Amino acid sequence: MSFKNILRGMCAAMALTAGVAAATTADAADKAKIYLSMSYIGNDWQAEAANMVKALAASSAYKDKVDLRVQVAGPNAQKQIQQINAMVQAGAKAIVVYPISPTALNEAVKAACAKGVVVVAYDGVIDEPCAYNVHVDQYEWGKLTAQWLVDKLGGKGNVVQITGVAGTSVDSLRNKAAAEVFGKYPGIKVVADANGMWSQAVARTELSKIIATHPWDTIDGLWMQAGCYTAIAMQSEAGVADDKIKPCAGEGSNGHRIQMLPVGTKVDGASGTYRPMGVPSISASSQVTPGAMALKIAVDVLEGKKVEKTMLLSPRAVTNATVKMCDTGSGDELKAGCNAFPPAIVPNPGWFASVYLPELPEVGFQAALVGQPEN
Amino acid sequence: MSGATMSPPRRPWVNLAKDRGLIAIIVVFACLLLFVDRISPVPLSYYDVTSLVSSGAALALASVGQTFVILTGGFDLSAGAVISLVNAVVGTTPQETTAGQIGVVALGLGVGAAVGAFNGFFVAFMRLQPIVVTLATMFLVRGITLWILPDPGGAVDHALTVLFTGTAIPGLMPAAGVVIVGAACIWLVLKNTRFGTALFAVGSDSDSAHAVGINTRWTRFGAFVLAGLFYGSAGTYIGAQTGAADPLVGDPMLLQTFTAVVLGGTLLGGGRGGAVGSIFGAYTLMLMINILLALDVSAYYATIAEGIVLILAVFSSSLGRNSQTLQSLRHARAWLRARSSGLLASQVITGVSSAAPLRARGGTATTVVPWQRRHAEFLRYTTPAFVSFVLVVVATQFVYSQNIILSLQYYNSLLVLGTFLAILALGQGSVILTGGLDLSVPWTIGFCGIFAAGLIQGSDSATIWVVPLTLVMGVLIGLFNGIGVAILGLPPIVITLATDGILQGAALLFSGGTPAGFASPVLRWMMTGSLLGLTPVVYLVLVFGFLAVVLLDRTVFGRWVYAVGNSPRASFLSGIGVKKTMIGVYVLSAFCSALVGVLITGFSGQASLGMGNDYLLPSIAVVIVGGTLITGGRGHYLGMIGGVLLLTALQTLLSGTTLPHAARDIIFGCVVLASVLALRDR
Repeated sequence: MSFKNILRGMCAAMALTAGVAAATTADAADKAKIYLSMSYIGNDWQAEAANMVKALAASSAYKDKVDLRVQVAGPNAQKQIQQINAMVQAGAKAIVVYPISPTALNEAVKAACAKGVVVVAYDGVIDEPCAYNVHVDQYEWGKLTAQWLVDKLGGKGNVVQITGVAGTSVDSLRNKAAAEVFGKYPGIKVVADANGMWSQAVARTELSKIIATHPWDTIDGLWMQAGCYTAIAMQSEAGVADDKIKPCAGEGSNGHRIQMLPVGTKVDGASGTYRPMGVPSISASSQVTPGAMALKIAVDVLEGKKVEKTMLLSPRAVTNATVKMCDTGSGDELKAGCNAFPPAIVPNPGWFASVYLPELPEVGFQAALVGQPEN
Repeated sequence: MSGATMSPPRRPWVNLAKDRGLIAIIVVFACLLLFVDRISPVPLSYYDVTSLVSSGAALALASVGQTFVILTGGFDLSAGAVISLVNAVVGTTPQETTAGQIGVVALGLGVGAAVGAFNGFFVAFMRLQPIVVTLATMFLVRGITLWILPDPGGAVDHALTVLFTGTAIPGLMPAAGVVIVGAACIWLVLKNTRFGTALFAVGSDSDSAHAVGINTRWTRFGAFVLAGLFYGSAGTYIGAQTGAADPLVGDPMLLQTFTAVVLGGTLLGGGRGGAVGSIFGAYTLMLMINILLALDVSAYYATIAEGIVLILAVFSSSLGRNSQTLQSLRHARAWLRARSSGLLASQVITGVSSAAPLRARGGTATTVVPWQRRHAEFLRYTTPAFVSFVLVVVATQFVYSQNIILSLQYYNSLLVLGTFLAILALGQGSVILTGGLDLSVPWTIGFCGIFAAGLIQGSDSATIWVVPLTLVMGVLIGLFNGIGVAILGLPPIVITLATDGILQGAALLFSGGTPAGFASPVLRWMMTGSLLGLTPVVYLVLVFGFLAVVLLDRTVFGRWVYAVGNSPRASFLSGIGVKKTMIGVYVLSAFCSALVGVLITGFSGQASLGMGNDYLLPSIAVVIVGGTLITGGRGHYLGMIGGVLLLTALQTLLSGTTLPHAARDIIFGCVVLASVLALRDR
């Protein structure tokens, strides 16, 4: 009796999807079909990295070679496995993937390779030997930032640690490196440690909890996988003077870099806690460029060039000595070494400022911001 | 149901009326498969079918497990965590020899079943609510998993990979297919045993089942053990499928198992459905990925499309002569006819006024009973949370050298951090009091926060009109949920889950992937400034708490909420606007989520995608820890506030330490479990 109804419901669903289908007919016969499988579109980093990939695909050097399609698997590894299978089935020549898990995708990737598809992973790692990997050395990141903090504190002091997403390899590599560095100095005491989920919002919640039991004056320094901007803003709101704010070792958010500039630097659009404060800091970054680099590698491999299986990018650390304002973020400026952007053009302080890679002149600031290539 | 199985000759092989959910999902699945074949550039080959069967197998197995629990009227939140645990155990156990490989599979299944037995014990023999027990188990298991395997790694022998994901009959049957057919056979055999009959009977009507001599306790216990066994098989399968282990691999599968089970035609609340439908439901979800990809639908629309398909699937399989939608239509027609003859207006009035004498009668009775006896139930269910809260504060004092107990700053931080949960508790709490559940909280917060920040752009004058507009937006979201539940008769979990997906897509579209804009100075001052020694929002939350108590305790709406939760049927017959109340609680919940979205934006200064993701499970946890019955009808807002204080104080205590994160999850789970044990019905 309900068969008609079922059919009716299904017809509605079909009509819905068919409408979308009509709008997207592929024109690319001679272009290489390359898929991007992202994880969350949840945070700034992912969105910027995806913008970079899209910008590179749209640049004059690539737009006739690449037909890029973007899919999102969310945080679900099972979904990403199925997505990779479906991409192979849909005729992908190459797959650029932000791997949710370094291990879960192995069999799917192996099957894709067996069908002649080039698989390149960015930021995260895929263990399967046939895959290409491009990422920042996360162990090095942890070591570099922790060592900087220890040196700044003179080997002695109470440190608050905000980590990333527990159970991921990036998080444990960074934590392991930091723990090794801190362990060498008996004067360094980690007094509190919370999961920050690589989010400025979570960092604030967790720090608020920590401050309830460890007031600012009992803390000497912070080591944060993300959220230095927030930590510095919270101290400023709590009435701590600019020159008394604790040193913070962290990621590459633009807000953090602005706060590192000496007090009095002229910055367009600075306000509230998003302004130069001269806070002693190191800002090392996971970079938003590996995704675009992965696309370049995929195209190179398809064109028959010889490419190394693993490419490690430097965290390109910025300290108070090397932080430098950009005016407009043009390619030439970035090349000359500027690494922070005025709040007037980047209103979001959590935005990642590490957008430059010398190997990729096609993409820069505008690519990360709005997905527009340099040429 | 039991009647049908007791007289097998009369039961036709396919029963259109009873199996229509199953038939629907098989038809949908077949159509989608054909559709994928049509739109794909190359026709589907054996390779494609194999990869589909293999990659969907884990979800299918997990959904079979979830089906057992749902059939008894329960709900298993620990499914994803158990899959991760088993995957971690399987990946870290040595397995070089064939005996070792057999052992590791047995171990995986055993661990799953053991966790199932743990759940089953508390649900069946301690008579705790499944949702609470499994929530606590989820935290416990998550902690243990991180302890065993802190990051992805481990190794599963290649022999197992070949065994589970290889080929069983070359060119005909992948090994994963054998596993799935095996799971379906286990279900079909079990279904026709006494245990199977009992499973349906307990889910349909536990009391009647008990009355006719079915051992309801062992049936429930068995359902959880079987569920655990299937999660174990899913975790083991993932180990074989991926050749390694990942401590987070199962967590995102939790909501998918519900979707698969519901798509498969199993009734939430129990009593109808089956595991075969769930298997097809799981594979339908997997096919959706292929369809979105083949159509090259923008990533932003993916969750919207999934949400709409979920609603359509459930809606179409629920349509029938007695469906709620048609009933609502008939009622509307009757109402119109009555209205034109001037009848129903009077009925509506009696509906309200009939509550008045009831209240008066209650009032005269209570004057004789002393206060503490009159409120005995209230006290019994709300005090445990407050007592535990005091204990946690005392513990905090002992852990830290500073003077915490007398520090105003400490309590100020607690209240500020607790603000979000205190507000969400009213919304989620009211929904739970009517026997529902609102899963759309995360992206209602996210969407409203992003919407508000995007329009406010740091301007105080814009704040004046944007905040009310955002709250109206919340009301509209709530109306959508409420109408879905009350008028269309969709299960609350389905409609709110779908809304969550749709809002996620809407947030992405609105923000273009990167939320712009930020909170205005006033909003930031509200959350981070200072007024007479306290953060301004603390005053707001005190007023909010007072209004919430008045709303639930002293208004007609509040009474209706409790009445509907106790018995929608009895309420309806007593002239209570059941549908109005249902819509009202979802509107209230979405309103609260929208408010929290605005406040979080003020707190962090900006809005971010996924900003609400950490609030769904805590919003349920505080409501339950505060003494609310998950099936509705019992609970008090003050108790929920106790729950908020307890959880916030506990998290504050744990965050300030350097305990391993695994240990914190375990402690958190233990506290939730302990507090519901204290709330147990005697």
